[in-house]
Amino acid sequence: MSDARLFPITLSLQVASLAMALVAPAGLALAWVQARRRYPLRSVVDGLVLLPLVLPPSVVGFLLVVVFGRRGPVGAWLEAVLDVRLIFTPAAAVLASSVVALPMLVKTAQPAFEAVPPELEAVSRSLGLPPWSVFWRVTLPSAWRSVLAGLVLAFARAVGEFGATLMFAGNIPGRTNTMPLEIFSAYQAGEDARALVYVVVLSSLSLGVALLAARMTGAVEAR
Amino acid sequence: MNGPPPEAAVPALEARLTVTAGDFTVTSEVQLREGVLVFFGPSGAGKTLTLQALAGLLRPREGFLRVRGEWLFDSERRVDVPAHRRRIGYVPQAHALLPFLDVVENVRFGLPRRERRADNPRIRALFEELGLAHLAHARPPQLSGGERQRVALARALAVQPRLLLLDEPFASIDREGRAELRRSLREALRRHGTPAVFVTHDAEEARVMGDSVLRFVRGRSVECGPPGVVLPRGPSVAVSGVAAGTPGQRPDGSVELALGEATVRGPASLLRPAADGRLTVELPAPPDET
Repeated sequence: MSDARLFPITLSLQVASLAMALVAPAGLALAWVQARRRYPLRSVVDGLVLLPLVLPPSVVGFLLVVVFGRRGPVGAWLEAVLDVRLIFTPAAAVLASSVVALPMLVKTAQPAFEAVPPELEAVSRSLGLPPWSVFWRVTLPSAWRSVLAGLVLAFARAVGEFGATLMFAGNIPGRTNTMPLEIFSAYQAGEDARALVYVVVLSSLSLGVALLAARMTGAVEAR
Repeated sequence: MNGPPPEAAVPALEARLTVTAGDFTVTSEVQLREGVLVFFGPSGAGKTLTLQALAGLLRPREGFLRVRGEWLFDSERRVDVPAHRRRIGYVPQAHALLPFLDVVENVRFGLPRRERRADNPRIRALFEELGLAHLAHARPPQLSGGERQRVALARALAVQPRLLLLDEPFASIDREGRAELRRSLREALRRHGTPAVFVTHDAEEARVMGDSVLRFVRGRSVECGPPGVVLPRGPSVAVSGVAAGTPGQRPDGSVELALGEATVRGPASLLRPAADGRLTVELPAPPDET
């Protein structure tokens, strides 16, 4: 396979992996806070987390441009202070993938954290474990199957991101053309055979991931 | 190993706490020199809430808490030592064990890493003491309720707490198991010199476990004292008649007295006519002497 052909595959895997590096800590922290803390705006945050899941991807993309674009509040600040321009870069693809993948992890991990008996955590604290150790040694091991399933689902969502990426990162060959975008381009150009390559790669990746998730959540129910 | 505390003159526990959860508030005054203090009262009286505040799992609205003279909480001076630095053990009614670890791993769970090795002699001694040696590699789901609570107790004692809090730990155990567990617990606490607070709504359990009893009623601690004074009296009988001789003490502690013409009133369980027509009345011993 030529470099140009291979590029969308490696880019997609890189983008999705980097997105997961952001989503995993942020999503687990958010899931834990939502499961264990009661604070005034909790239900608002619950709704906001769900938003990228229910909004059309083009709307998510548009909002990302509004916020992180060159004239958006965050985008303008980034460019003025750090000399970083996000829009139409692979980093934008990472951000778009992260935003849509986050709810998959939070919504899977949160009920799993809620299901951990509070007594287990209370006892562990009384045994001298600081809060961080309680999370690593009690909460996470108790919920690990669901957390893993959530990570897998989030990865699948990240690697397949299309709409928001198209609007926010563009579809620049050799720069931001991830597999889903490349399928679209190839199809538009009438190169169905080229599209099919990525269709097969993406499908097998997603299918494998879905089977893995089903096995893990099945194991959770079987307990 | 863990002999009597060096400063026995300093009370094990002193506290005055106001704890609020939702729209329920409980106010308590707690004093414990040594031994076991029972929190006694109906459910919903505020025993568990107070216990969780002692453990540092709930922040009291106001008050103070001292363990062996050390300030762990004081609302006025803004002292609030977090739960994991209080060295106060906690054993709940259920869900105490980590289901994904075996018994040994559970017992070692609170120890610093270097003491978690398999041949730690202190842990081995605890296993012997609580009759757990044969269960070392069992997983919590395979254990009976009583075994689980023994493991929970061993784990709490393994980190050598200054105070142990037990929240109805035997409530879901059958009757015989409970009696045995109480005995093990009393022995273990005495051997380790660990003072404890034991929550129960069961008067019989309070009598067996407590050196002193603090009674809770509707969100207040109302009365503290020896079990015989604070706890409601058990069933008793009244006997009147003309004695036919002097009362005789029997080896089991009960008293036997032959009556000429007698009227005996009391619950059937306390009156057992013997085959020879004589009547034995078993009066419950005063609770604080058991």
